[in-house]
Amino acid sequence: MSIDDALRSAIHRKIIEFFHENQASIDTPRGVSTWVNEDRAKVRKALEDLVALNILTAHRVSSTTGYCYTRDTKVISRIGKLLKETT
Amino acid sequence: MENPTSATDKATEAQYRQELFDRLKKSLSFRRQEECFESSIEPTFWWLVEKPNPSIEDLTWLIPSGCICNKRSLIKKRAECVIHMREILRKAAQKRAIVRFACPQGLYGFAYPIAQGDKLYGFIGAYYIKKDVSDDTLNIFATFTDAIVREVQKEVELSKLYETIRPRAIALSTVHTVHRLISSTLDMNELLPRIVRLSLQVIRANRCSLKLVDARRKQLLPKATVDVREKKSKLKKIAVGKWAPGKAVKYGRPIKGADYLAVPLIDEDVIGVITVYDKIDKKPFSDFDQEIMMTLAEQAVIAIKNAQLYKEQEKLTIGSIRSLAAALDTRAPGAYIRRASTLKICLAIGQAMRMDANELKSLEYAVVLHDAGQVTVPSEVLTKPTKLTGKEFKIVKEHPAKGVEIIRHIKALKTVIPIILHHHENYDGSGYPKGIRKDQIPLGARIMAAVSAFEAMITKKPYRPPMTVDQAVAEIKNNSGTQFDPKIVDEFLKVMKRKDIRALLKKEPYEHR
Repeated sequence: MSIDDALRSAIHRKIIEFFHENQASIDTPRGVSTWVNEDRAKVRKALEDLVALNILTAHRVSSTTGYCYTRDTKVISRIGKLLKETT
Repeated sequence: MENPTSATDKATEAQYRQELFDRLKKSLSFRRQEECFESSIEPTFWWLVEKPNPSIEDLTWLIPSGCICNKRSLIKKRAECVIHMREILRKAAQKRAIVRFACPQGLYGFAYPIAQGDKLYGFIGAYYIKKDVSDDTLNIFATFTDAIVREVQKEVELSKLYETIRPRAIALSTVHTVHRLISSTLDMNELLPRIVRLSLQVIRANRCSLKLVDARRKQLLPKATVDVREKKSKLKKIAVGKWAPGKAVKYGRPIKGADYLAVPLIDEDVIGVITVYDKIDKKPFSDFDQEIMMTLAEQAVIAIKNAQLYKEQEKLTIGSIRSLAAALDTRAPGAYIRRASTLKICLAIGQAMRMDANELKSLEYAVVLHDAGQVTVPSEVLTKPTKLTGKEFKIVKEHPAKGVEIIRHIKALKTVIPIILHHHENYDGSGYPKGIRKDQIPLGARIMAAVSAFEAMITKKPYRPPMTVDQAVAEIKNNSGTQFDPKIVDEFLKVMKRKDIRALLKKEPYEHR
Protein backbone atom coordinates (compact mmCIF):
# COMPACT_ATOMS: atom_id res chain seq x y z
CA MET A 1 0.00 0.00 0.00
CA SER A 2 1.28 3.51 -0.86
CA ILE A 3 0.31 6.87 0.67
CA ASP A 4 -1.90 7.52 -2.39
CA ASP A 5 -3.65 4.15 -1.90
CA ALA A 6 -4.16 4.97 1.78
CA LEU A 7 -5.79 8.27 0.90
CA ARG A 8 -8.15 6.47 -1.47
CA SER A 9 -9.37 4.18 1.34
CA ALA A 10 -12.08 5.94 3.37
CA ILE A 11 -10.99 4.61 6.76
CA HIS A 12 -7.25 5.21 6.20
CA ARG A 13 -8.02 8.71 4.96
CA LYS A 14 -10.16 9.51 8.02
CA ILE A 15 -7.31 8.39 10.31
CA ILE A 16 -4.73 10.38 8.35
CA GLU A 17 -6.96 13.46 8.46
CA PHE A 18 -7.44 13.03 12.20
CA PHE A 19 -3.70 12.85 12.91
CA HIS A 20 -2.90 15.63 10.41
CA GLU A 21 -5.35 17.94 12.21
CA ASN A 22 -4.25 16.78 15.67
CA GLN A 23 -0.53 16.29 15.24
CA ALA A 24 0.21 16.20 18.98
CA SER A 25 -2.29 13.42 19.60
CA ILE A 26 -1.32 9.95 20.82
CA ASP A 27 -4.17 7.50 21.00
CA THR A 28 -5.07 3.84 21.27
CA PRO A 29 -7.10 2.01 18.58
CA ARG A 30 -10.13 2.45 20.80
CA GLY A 31 -9.61 6.23 21.02
CA VAL A 32 -8.92 6.63 17.30
CA SER A 33 -12.00 4.58 16.38
CA THR A 34 -14.07 7.03 18.47
CA TRP A 35 -12.61 10.10 16.77
CA VAL A 36 -13.07 8.72 13.25
CA ASN A 37 -16.35 6.96 14.06
CA GLU A 38 -15.35 3.61 12.55
CA ASP A 39 -15.26 -0.01 13.67
CA ARG A 40 -12.40 -0.68 16.12
CA ALA A 41 -11.09 -3.83 14.40
CA LYS A 42 -10.93 -2.07 11.04
CA VAL A 43 -9.24 0.93 12.65
CA ARG A 44 -6.68 -1.34 14.32
CA LYS A 45 -5.79 -2.89 10.94
CA ALA A 46 -5.65 0.51 9.21
CA LEU A 47 -3.42 1.92 11.96
CA GLU A 48 -0.90 -0.86 11.38
CA ASP A 49 -1.00 -0.20 7.60
CA LEU A 50 -0.20 3.46 8.31
CA VAL A 51 2.65 2.48 10.64
CA ALA A 52 4.10 0.38 7.79
CA LEU A 53 3.92 3.49 5.58
CA ASN A 54 5.76 5.56 8.24
CA ILE A 55 2.79 7.90 8.47
CA LEU A 56 2.21 6.85 12.07
CA THR A 57 4.52 5.72 14.86
CA ALA A 58 3.47 2.95 17.23
CA HIS A 59 4.41 2.98 20.92
CA ARG A 60 3.84 -0.62 21.95
CA VAL A 61 3.44 -1.78 25.55
CA SER A 62 2.02 -5.01 26.91
CA SER A 63 -1.48 -3.65 27.57
CA THR A 64 -1.99 -1.46 24.49
CA THR A 65 -0.41 0.43 21.61
CA GLY A 66 -0.36 4.21 21.35
CA TYR A 67 -0.33 5.59 17.81
CA CYS A 68 0.87 9.05 16.87
CA TYR A 69 1.66 11.07 13.76
CA THR A 70 5.05 11.00 12.10
CA ARG A 71 7.56 13.71 12.98
CA ASP A 72 9.03 13.65 9.49
CA THR A 73 8.29 17.14 8.14
CA LYS A 74 8.68 15.98 4.53
CA VAL A 75 6.03 13.28 4.99
CA ILE A 76 3.76 15.72 6.83
CA SER A 77 3.96 18.35 4.10
CA ARG A 78 3.45 15.73 1.38
CA ILE A 79 0.34 14.44 3.15
CA GLY A 80 -0.92 18.00 3.63
CA LYS A 81 -0.54 18.62 -0.11
CA LEU A 82 -2.20 15.31 -1.07
CA LEU A 83 -5.11 15.92 1.31
CA LYS A 84 -5.73 19.32 -0.28
CA GLU A 85 -5.45 17.97 -3.82
CA THR A 86 -7.83 15.09 -3.19
CA THR A 87 -10.50 16.94 -1.18
CA MET B 1 -9.80 53.86 21.10
CA GLU B 2 -11.68 50.59 21.40
CA ASN B 3 -10.61 48.34 24.27
CA PRO B 4 -9.30 44.89 23.23
CA THR B 5 -12.02 42.94 25.06
CA SER B 6 -14.80 44.73 23.25
CA ALA B 7 -12.95 44.28 19.92
CA THR B 8 -12.71 40.53 20.59
CA ASP B 9 -16.38 40.38 21.55
CA LYS B 10 -17.34 42.19 18.37
CA ALA B 11 -15.21 39.84 16.26
CA THR B 12 -16.81 36.81 17.95
CA GLU B 13 -20.27 38.28 17.43
CA ALA B 14 -19.56 39.00 13.76
CA GLN B 15 -18.29 35.43 13.33
CA TYR B 16 -21.42 34.05 15.00
CA ARG B 17 -23.66 36.26 12.80
CA GLN B 18 -21.84 35.14 9.68
CA GLU B 19 -22.27 31.47 10.57
CA LEU B 20 -25.92 32.00 11.48
CA PHE B 21 -26.71 33.56 8.10
CA ASP B 22 -24.60 31.01 6.19
CA ARG B 23 -26.55 28.18 7.81
CA LEU B 24 -29.85 30.02 7.39
CA LYS B 25 -29.22 30.37 3.64
CA LYS B 26 -28.43 26.65 3.40
CA SER B 27 -31.42 25.66 5.56
CA LEU B 28 -33.94 23.53 3.71
CA SER B 29 -36.77 24.80 5.97
CA PHE B 30 -35.83 28.37 5.05
CA ARG B 31 -35.98 27.64 1.31
CA ARG B 32 -39.31 25.83 1.68
CA GLN B 33 -40.75 28.76 3.59
CA GLU B 34 -39.79 31.11 0.75
CA GLU B 35 -41.39 28.80 -1.84
CA CYS B 36 -44.51 28.47 0.26
CA PHE B 37 -44.97 32.24 0.66
CA GLU B 38 -44.12 33.01 -2.96
CA SER B 39 -47.10 30.91 -4.04
CA SER B 40 -49.47 32.96 -1.86
CA ILE B 41 -48.07 36.48 -2.18
CA GLU B 42 -47.26 36.73 -5.89
CA PRO B 43 -43.74 36.88 -7.36
CA THR B 44 -41.54 38.73 -4.96
CA PHE B 45 -37.97 39.59 -3.98
CA TRP B 46 -36.62 38.23 -0.75
CA TRP B 47 -34.03 40.13 1.16
CA LEU B 48 -31.71 38.94 3.80
CA VAL B 49 -29.84 41.77 5.49
CA GLU B 50 -26.91 40.20 7.31
CA LYS B 51 -26.13 43.19 9.53
CA PRO B 52 -28.06 44.90 12.32
CA ASN B 53 -27.03 48.35 10.97
CA PRO B 54 -26.68 48.03 7.19
CA SER B 55 -24.98 50.85 5.29
CA ILE B 56 -26.49 52.76 2.37
CA GLU B 57 -24.30 50.70 0.04
CA ASP B 58 -25.51 47.40 1.54
CA LEU B 59 -29.10 48.44 0.92
CA THR B 60 -28.46 49.79 -2.60
CA TRP B 61 -27.50 46.26 -3.64
CA LEU B 62 -30.89 45.02 -2.48
CA ILE B 63 -32.92 47.04 -4.97
CA PRO B 64 -34.20 44.59 -7.61
CA SER B 65 -32.67 45.10 -11.07
CA GLY B 66 -36.13 45.41 -12.67
CA CYS B 67 -37.27 48.19 -10.32
CA ILE B 68 -37.45 51.72 -11.58
CA CYS B 69 -35.47 52.80 -8.50
CA ASN B 70 -32.46 50.87 -9.76
CA LYS B 71 -32.02 52.96 -12.88
CA ARG B 72 -28.72 54.77 -12.81
CA SER B 73 -30.28 57.84 -14.35
CA LEU B 74 -32.68 58.16 -11.44
CA ILE B 75 -30.16 58.58 -8.67
CA LYS B 76 -32.58 60.65 -6.59
CA LYS B 77 -35.24 57.91 -6.68
CA ARG B 78 -32.69 55.30 -5.73
CA ALA B 79 -31.54 57.38 -2.78
CA GLU B 80 -35.16 57.86 -1.66
CA CYS B 81 -35.75 54.11 -1.95
CA VAL B 82 -32.68 53.26 0.14
CA ILE B 83 -33.54 55.83 2.80
CA HIS B 84 -37.06 54.41 2.91
CA MET B 85 -35.71 50.88 3.31
CA ARG B 86 -33.42 52.03 6.07
CA GLU B 87 -36.30 53.65 7.90
CA ILE B 88 -38.35 50.42 7.65
CA LEU B 89 -35.48 48.37 9.09
CA ARG B 90 -34.96 50.87 11.89
CA LYS B 91 -38.65 50.55 12.83
CA ALA B 92 -38.52 46.76 12.68
CA ALA B 93 -35.40 46.80 14.89
CA GLN B 94 -37.05 49.10 17.42
CA LYS B 95 -40.31 47.16 17.58
CA ARG B 96 -38.63 43.77 17.30
CA ALA B 97 -41.62 42.85 15.18
CA ILE B 98 -42.64 42.52 11.57
CA VAL B 99 -43.13 45.87 9.77
CA ARG B 100 -45.26 46.20 6.68
CA PHE B 101 -44.67 48.98 4.16
CA ALA B 102 -45.62 50.39 0.78
CA CYS B 103 -42.81 51.78 -1.31
CA PRO B 104 -42.95 55.10 -3.21
CA GLN B 105 -43.55 53.10 -6.41
CA GLY B 106 -46.79 51.66 -5.00
CA LEU B 107 -45.37 48.23 -4.28
CA TYR B 108 -45.62 46.44 -0.93
CA GLY B 109 -43.22 44.65 1.33
CA PHE B 110 -42.35 43.71 4.90
CA ALA B 111 -39.26 43.37 7.09
CA TYR B 112 -38.75 41.09 10.08
CA PRO B 113 -35.83 41.36 12.52
CA ILE B 114 -33.69 38.28 13.23
CA ALA B 115 -32.84 38.61 16.91
CA GLN B 116 -32.02 36.59 19.99
CA GLY B 117 -32.76 38.28 23.33
CA ASP B 118 -31.46 41.82 23.03
CA LYS B 119 -29.07 40.89 20.20
CA LEU B 120 -30.11 41.89 16.71
CA TYR B 121 -28.34 40.01 13.91
CA GLY B 122 -30.10 41.25 10.76
CA PHE B 123 -33.37 41.19 8.87
CA ILE B 124 -35.38 39.03 6.57
CA GLY B 125 -38.09 40.45 4.38
CA ALA B 126 -39.85 40.55 1.07
CA TYR B 127 -40.70 43.43 -1.22
CA TYR B 128 -41.74 44.29 -4.73
CA ILE B 129 -45.07 42.66 -3.90
CA LYS B 130 -47.94 43.90 -6.02
CA LYS B 131 -50.76 43.43 -3.46
CA ASP B 132 -50.65 44.27 0.22
CA VAL B 133 -50.09 41.24 2.47
CA SER B 134 -52.67 40.35 5.12
CA ASP B 135 -51.86 40.42 8.86
CA ASP B 136 -52.59 36.70 9.10
CA THR B 137 -50.01 35.91 6.42
CA LEU B 138 -47.45 38.11 8.13
CA ASN B 139 -48.10 36.49 11.51
CA ILE B 140 -47.63 33.02 10.01
CA PHE B 141 -44.41 34.25 8.33
CA ALA B 142 -43.08 35.63 11.63
CA THR B 143 -43.92 32.41 13.50
CA PHE B 144 -42.25 30.24 10.84
CA THR B 145 -39.21 32.49 10.68
CA ASP B 146 -38.79 32.41 14.45
CA ALA B 147 -38.93 28.61 14.46
CA ILE B 148 -36.39 28.31 11.62
CA VAL B 149 -34.02 30.87 13.18
CA ARG B 150 -34.21 29.09 16.53
CA GLU B 151 -33.42 25.77 14.81
CA VAL B 152 -30.44 27.30 13.00
CA GLN B 153 -29.21 29.04 16.17
CA LYS B 154 -29.23 25.67 17.95
CA GLU B 155 -27.23 24.17 15.10
CA VAL B 156 -24.66 26.98 15.36
CA GLU B 157 -24.38 26.59 19.12
CA LEU B 158 -24.00 22.82 18.85
CA SER B 159 -21.32 23.26 16.24
CA LYS B 160 -19.48 25.77 18.47
CA LEU B 161 -19.73 23.39 21.41
CA TYR B 162 -18.34 20.55 19.28
CA GLU B 163 -15.45 22.73 18.09
CA THR B 164 -14.65 23.72 21.68
CA ILE B 165 -15.02 20.32 23.31
CA ARG B 166 -13.47 18.06 20.66
CA PRO B 167 -9.87 19.40 20.86
CA ARG B 168 -10.02 19.23 24.65
CA ALA B 169 -11.37 15.69 24.55
CA ILE B 170 -8.58 14.70 22.13
CA ALA B 171 -5.97 16.32 24.42
CA LEU B 172 -7.46 14.50 27.42
CA SER B 173 -7.40 11.21 25.55
CA THR B 174 -3.73 11.84 24.66
CA VAL B 175 -2.85 12.49 28.31
CA HIS B 176 -4.67 9.28 29.28
CA THR B 177 -2.85 7.25 26.60
CA VAL B 178 0.52 8.69 27.68
CA HIS B 179 -0.31 7.71 31.26
CA ARG B 180 -1.06 4.13 30.15
CA LEU B 181 2.12 3.93 28.09
CA ILE B 182 4.46 5.18 30.80
CA SER B 183 2.86 3.34 33.70
CA SER B 184 3.13 0.01 31.92
CA THR B 185 6.82 -0.45 32.71
CA LEU B 186 8.80 -0.60 35.94
CA ASP B 187 12.14 -0.83 34.18
CA MET B 188 13.92 2.54 34.41
CA ASN B 189 16.01 1.79 31.31
CA GLU B 190 12.81 1.45 29.33
CA LEU B 191 10.75 4.08 31.15
CA LEU B 192 12.97 7.17 30.85
CA PRO B 193 13.54 6.99 27.05
CA ARG B 194 9.80 6.33 26.67
CA ILE B 195 8.93 9.49 28.64
CA VAL B 196 11.32 11.45 26.41
CA ARG B 197 9.88 10.06 23.16
CA LEU B 198 6.29 10.70 24.26
CA SER B 199 7.11 14.26 25.37
CA LEU B 200 8.64 14.94 21.96
CA GLN B 201 5.53 13.61 20.30
CA VAL B 202 3.01 15.49 22.39
CA ILE B 203 4.83 18.82 22.21
CA ARG B 204 5.99 18.34 18.57
CA ALA B 205 9.53 19.33 19.48
CA ASN B 206 12.84 18.30 17.93
CA ARG B 207 14.78 17.53 21.08
CA CYS B 208 13.95 16.32 24.56
CA SER B 209 16.14 15.50 27.49
CA LEU B 210 15.38 13.98 30.88
CA LYS B 211 17.79 14.54 33.73
CA LEU B 212 17.63 13.25 37.29
CA VAL B 213 19.00 15.12 40.29
CA ASP B 214 22.14 13.87 42.02
CA ALA B 215 21.49 15.71 45.29
CA ARG B 216 24.90 14.82 46.74
CA ARG B 217 26.82 16.49 43.94
CA LYS B 218 24.20 19.14 43.15
CA GLN B 219 24.22 17.97 39.56
CA LEU B 220 21.70 16.90 36.97
CA LEU B 221 22.58 13.55 35.44
CA PRO B 222 21.39 12.98 31.87
CA LYS B 223 19.31 9.80 31.72
CA ALA B 224 17.65 9.98 28.31
CA THR B 225 17.99 12.38 25.40
CA VAL B 226 16.48 12.18 21.94
CA ASP B 227 17.13 14.59 19.09
CA VAL B 228 15.08 13.71 16.02
CA ARG B 229 17.50 15.68 13.81
CA GLU B 230 20.64 13.87 14.96
CA LYS B 231 21.35 10.16 15.17
CA LYS B 232 23.49 10.48 18.28
CA SER B 233 22.35 12.52 21.24
CA LYS B 234 24.74 14.27 23.55
CA LEU B 235 24.45 13.43 27.23
CA LYS B 236 25.67 16.33 29.35
CA LYS B 237 25.79 16.69 33.12
CA ILE B 238 24.84 20.15 34.29
CA ALA B 239 24.92 21.92 37.61
CA VAL B 240 21.74 22.73 39.51
CA GLY B 241 20.94 26.40 38.82
CA LYS B 242 22.64 26.45 35.43
CA TRP B 243 20.79 26.75 32.13
CA ALA B 244 17.04 26.26 31.84
CA PRO B 245 16.98 22.68 33.26
CA GLY B 246 19.19 23.68 36.20
CA LYS B 247 17.04 26.72 36.93
CA ALA B 248 13.81 24.69 36.71
CA VAL B 249 15.25 22.33 39.35
CA LYS B 250 16.62 25.15 41.52
CA TYR B 251 13.38 27.16 41.56
CA GLY B 252 10.99 24.19 41.29
CA ARG B 253 8.94 25.77 38.49
CA PRO B 254 8.85 25.61 34.68
CA ILE B 255 11.35 27.78 32.80
CA LYS B 256 10.16 28.75 29.34
CA GLY B 257 11.91 30.50 26.48
CA ALA B 258 11.08 30.81 22.79
CA ASP B 259 12.91 27.60 21.90
CA TYR B 260 13.04 25.70 25.19
CA LEU B 261 10.74 24.58 27.97
CA ALA B 262 12.10 22.95 31.12
CA VAL B 263 9.62 21.41 33.55
CA PRO B 264 10.75 20.08 36.94
CA LEU B 265 9.79 16.58 38.10
CA ILE B 266 8.46 17.20 41.58
CA ASP B 267 7.67 14.51 44.10
CA GLU B 268 8.20 15.63 47.70
CA ASP B 269 11.32 17.27 46.39
CA VAL B 270 12.54 18.00 42.85
CA ILE B 271 13.80 14.67 41.49
CA GLY B 272 14.62 15.75 37.94
CA VAL B 273 13.66 17.80 34.93
CA ILE B 274 12.29 17.24 31.42
CA THR B 275 13.35 19.80 28.84
CA VAL B 276 11.99 20.11 25.31
CA TYR B 277 13.74 22.21 22.68
CA ASP B 278 12.89 23.62 19.22
CA LYS B 279 9.32 23.03 18.10
CA ILE B 280 8.93 21.35 14.71
CA ASP B 281 6.79 24.23 13.44
CA LYS B 282 9.46 26.69 14.69
CA LYS B 283 6.85 28.50 16.83
CA PRO B 284 7.71 29.54 20.40
CA PHE B 285 6.58 27.31 23.27
CA SER B 286 3.11 28.37 24.42
CA ASP B 287 1.32 28.38 27.77
CA PHE B 288 -0.69 25.40 26.50
CA ASP B 289 2.59 23.49 25.84
CA GLN B 290 3.61 24.29 29.41
CA GLU B 291 0.28 23.02 30.79
CA ILE B 292 0.61 19.77 28.83
CA MET B 293 4.25 19.28 29.87
CA MET B 294 3.37 19.88 33.52
CA THR B 295 0.65 17.21 33.31
CA LEU B 296 3.07 14.85 31.61
CA ALA B 297 5.74 15.61 34.24
CA GLU B 298 3.28 14.73 37.03
CA GLN B 299 2.61 11.37 35.38
CA ALA B 300 6.32 10.83 34.76
CA VAL B 301 7.13 11.41 38.45
CA ILE B 302 4.63 8.75 39.53
CA ALA B 303 6.01 6.27 36.99
CA ILE B 304 9.64 7.03 37.96
CA LYS B 305 8.90 6.69 41.67
CA ASN B 306 7.08 3.40 41.06
CA ALA B 307 10.05 2.09 39.05
CA GLN B 308 12.49 3.22 41.76
CA LEU B 309 10.40 1.54 44.48
CA TYR B 310 10.15 -1.62 42.41
CA LYS B 311 13.92 -1.65 41.95
CA GLU B 312 14.42 -1.20 45.71
CA GLN B 313 11.96 -4.01 46.44
CA GLU B 314 13.68 -6.21 43.90
CA LYS B 315 17.07 -5.54 45.53
CA LEU B 316 15.55 -6.40 48.90
CA THR B 317 14.06 -9.64 47.56
CA ILE B 318 17.26 -10.81 45.88
CA GLY B 319 19.24 -9.75 48.99
CA SER B 320 16.95 -11.87 51.19
CA ILE B 321 17.26 -14.80 48.80
CA ARG B 322 21.06 -14.55 48.81
CA SER B 323 21.09 -14.33 52.62
CA LEU B 324 18.91 -17.42 52.78
CA ALA B 325 21.23 -19.25 50.38
CA ALA B 326 24.29 -18.14 52.38
CA ALA B 327 22.69 -19.37 55.61
CA LEU B 328 21.92 -22.74 54.01
CA ASP B 329 25.40 -22.99 52.54
CA THR B 330 26.97 -23.11 56.01
CA ARG B 331 25.57 -26.65 56.33
CA ALA B 332 27.21 -28.00 53.20
CA PRO B 333 29.57 -25.49 51.52
CA GLY B 334 28.95 -25.28 47.76
CA ALA B 335 25.53 -26.89 47.93
CA TYR B 336 23.56 -23.64 47.87
CA ILE B 337 25.66 -20.72 46.64
CA ARG B 338 25.73 -20.93 42.87
CA ARG B 339 28.52 -20.01 40.51
CA ALA B 340 28.23 -16.62 38.79
CA SER B 341 28.64 -18.54 35.52
CA THR B 342 25.54 -20.66 36.28
CA LEU B 343 23.37 -17.56 36.50
CA LYS B 344 24.91 -16.06 33.38
CA ILE B 345 24.47 -19.25 31.33
CA CYS B 346 20.87 -19.71 32.50
CA LEU B 347 19.94 -16.12 31.65
CA ALA B 348 21.68 -16.31 28.25
CA ILE B 349 19.71 -19.45 27.37
CA GLY B 350 16.51 -17.85 28.74
CA GLN B 351 17.02 -14.82 26.49
CA ALA B 352 17.71 -17.03 23.49
CA MET B 353 14.47 -18.89 24.27
CA ARG B 354 12.66 -15.49 24.23
CA MET B 355 11.74 -15.41 27.90
CA ASP B 356 10.31 -12.04 28.94
CA ALA B 357 11.75 -9.85 31.71
CA ASN B 358 9.53 -11.38 34.42
CA GLU B 359 10.37 -14.95 33.39
CA LEU B 360 14.08 -14.12 33.40
CA LYS B 361 13.73 -12.63 36.88
CA SER B 362 12.04 -15.86 38.11
CA LEU B 363 14.84 -17.88 36.51
CA GLU B 364 17.42 -15.72 38.30
CA TYR B 365 15.74 -16.32 41.68
CA ALA B 366 15.44 -20.04 40.90
CA VAL B 367 19.19 -20.27 40.15
CA VAL B 368 19.92 -19.01 43.66
CA LEU B 369 17.26 -21.05 45.44
CA HIS B 370 16.69 -24.22 43.41
CA ASP B 371 18.39 -26.49 45.95
CA ALA B 372 16.97 -24.77 49.06
CA GLY B 373 15.09 -28.00 49.83
CA GLN B 374 18.41 -29.74 50.53
CA VAL B 375 18.24 -28.14 53.97
CA THR B 376 16.01 -31.10 54.90
CA VAL B 377 18.63 -33.59 53.70
CA PRO B 378 20.92 -34.74 56.56
CA SER B 379 24.47 -33.27 56.29
CA GLU B 380 26.01 -36.76 56.36
CA VAL B 381 24.04 -37.60 53.18
CA LEU B 382 24.99 -34.32 51.49
CA THR B 383 28.68 -34.80 52.27
CA LYS B 384 28.82 -38.59 51.94
CA PRO B 385 32.00 -39.58 50.03
CA THR B 386 30.54 -42.86 48.72
CA LYS B 387 27.53 -43.80 46.60
CA LEU B 388 24.11 -43.11 48.19
CA THR B 389 21.92 -46.00 49.30
CA GLY B 390 18.36 -46.33 47.92
CA LYS B 391 16.92 -44.87 51.12
CA GLU B 392 19.35 -41.94 51.04
CA PHE B 393 18.60 -41.23 47.38
CA LYS B 394 14.87 -41.24 48.21
CA ILE B 395 15.52 -38.47 50.77
CA VAL B 396 17.54 -36.48 48.21
CA LYS B 397 14.73 -36.83 45.65
CA GLU B 398 12.36 -35.09 48.04
CA HIS B 399 14.39 -31.84 48.01
CA PRO B 400 12.52 -30.07 45.16
CA ALA B 401 9.17 -30.44 46.99
CA LYS B 402 10.81 -29.45 50.30
CA GLY B 403 12.32 -26.38 48.55
CA VAL B 404 8.84 -25.35 47.42
CA GLU B 405 7.60 -25.73 51.01
CA ILE B 406 10.30 -23.30 52.17
CA ILE B 407 9.57 -20.53 49.63
CA ARG B 408 5.84 -20.90 49.07
CA HIS B 409 4.99 -18.31 51.75
CA ILE B 410 7.03 -15.63 49.95
CA LYS B 411 4.60 -14.02 47.47
CA ALA B 412 7.39 -12.52 45.35
CA LEU B 413 8.71 -16.04 44.67
CA LYS B 414 5.42 -17.56 43.49
CA THR B 415 6.60 -17.74 39.87
CA VAL B 416 9.80 -19.49 40.95
CA ILE B 417 7.94 -22.50 42.41
CA PRO B 418 7.41 -24.44 39.10
CA ILE B 419 11.12 -24.10 38.24
CA ILE B 420 12.27 -25.33 41.66
CA LEU B 421 9.72 -28.17 41.77
CA HIS B 422 10.60 -29.53 38.32
CA HIS B 423 14.32 -28.84 37.87
CA HIS B 424 15.10 -32.58 38.26
CA GLU B 425 12.56 -33.72 35.67
CA ASN B 426 14.05 -35.36 32.59
CA TYR B 427 12.98 -34.57 29.03
CA ASP B 428 12.05 -38.24 28.44
CA GLY B 429 9.92 -38.42 31.62
CA SER B 430 12.45 -40.41 33.69
CA GLY B 431 13.11 -37.62 36.21
CA TYR B 432 11.52 -36.70 39.54
CA PRO B 433 9.34 -35.72 41.44
CA LYS B 434 6.42 -36.01 38.92
CA GLY B 435 8.02 -37.82 36.00
CA ILE B 436 6.57 -35.31 33.52
CA ARG B 437 8.12 -35.02 30.04
CA LYS B 438 8.94 -32.64 27.17
CA ASP B 439 6.88 -29.40 27.13
CA GLN B 440 5.02 -30.46 30.29
CA ILE B 441 8.18 -29.42 32.10
CA PRO B 442 8.28 -25.62 32.58
CA LEU B 443 10.82 -23.89 30.32
CA GLY B 444 12.73 -22.42 33.28
CA ALA B 445 13.01 -25.91 34.84
CA ARG B 446 14.32 -27.39 31.54
CA ILE B 447 17.01 -24.69 31.42
CA MET B 448 17.80 -25.14 35.11
CA ALA B 449 18.08 -28.94 34.65
CA ALA B 450 20.76 -28.69 31.96
CA VAL B 451 22.77 -25.89 33.55
CA SER B 452 22.67 -27.24 37.12
CA ALA B 453 23.76 -30.68 35.81
CA PHE B 454 26.67 -28.97 34.02
CA GLU B 455 27.54 -27.07 37.20
CA ALA B 456 27.45 -30.27 39.28
CA MET B 457 29.74 -32.04 36.79
CA ILE B 458 32.48 -29.37 36.89
CA THR B 459 32.28 -29.13 40.68
CA LYS B 460 34.36 -31.39 42.89
CA LYS B 461 32.13 -33.68 44.95
CA PRO B 462 33.06 -35.76 48.05
CA TYR B 463 32.58 -38.91 45.99
CA ARG B 464 34.28 -37.86 42.67
CA PRO B 465 36.69 -35.36 41.11
CA PRO B 466 35.35 -32.56 38.86
CA MET B 467 35.08 -32.97 35.08
CA THR B 468 36.68 -30.43 32.78
CA VAL B 469 34.36 -27.89 31.14
CA ASP B 470 34.71 -29.62 27.75
CA GLN B 471 33.98 -33.05 29.25
CA ALA B 472 30.86 -31.67 30.97
CA VAL B 473 29.70 -29.95 27.76
CA ALA B 474 30.13 -33.25 25.87
CA GLU B 475 28.12 -35.06 28.55
CA ILE B 476 25.25 -32.54 28.26
CA LYS B 477 25.33 -33.00 24.47
CA ASN B 478 25.23 -36.81 24.84
CA ASN B 479 22.10 -36.57 26.94
CA SER B 480 20.24 -34.24 24.57
CA GLY B 481 16.74 -35.60 23.87
CA THR B 482 16.80 -38.00 26.83
CA GLN B 483 17.69 -36.12 30.00
CA PHE B 484 17.70 -32.65 28.47
CA ASP B 485 15.53 -30.70 26.01
CA PRO B 486 17.39 -30.69 22.63
CA LYS B 487 16.46 -27.02 22.01
CA ILE B 488 17.93 -26.04 25.36
CA VAL B 489 21.05 -28.10 24.66
CA ASP B 490 21.48 -26.34 21.28
CA GLU B 491 21.32 -22.96 22.98
CA PHE B 492 23.60 -24.21 25.79
CA LEU B 493 26.22 -25.26 23.23
CA LYS B 494 26.06 -21.82 21.59
CA VAL B 495 26.43 -20.06 24.94
CA MET B 496 29.38 -22.27 25.88
CA LYS B 497 31.26 -21.02 22.81
CA ARG B 498 31.11 -17.45 24.14
CA LYS B 499 34.47 -16.09 25.25
CA ASP B 500 33.05 -14.21 28.25
CA ILE B 501 31.47 -17.41 29.61
CA ARG B 502 34.68 -19.40 29.13
CA ALA B 503 36.66 -16.64 30.85
CA LEU B 504 34.23 -16.57 33.76
CA LEU B 505 34.39 -20.36 34.19
CA LYS B 506 38.19 -20.20 34.24
CA LYS B 507 38.16 -17.62 37.03
CA GLU B 508 35.86 -19.63 39.30
CA PRO B 509 37.64 -21.71 41.95
CA TYR B 510 34.84 -24.20 42.50
CA GLU B 511 36.57 -27.04 40.67
CA HIS B 512 38.58 -27.59 43.82
CA ARG B 513 35.57 -28.13 46.03
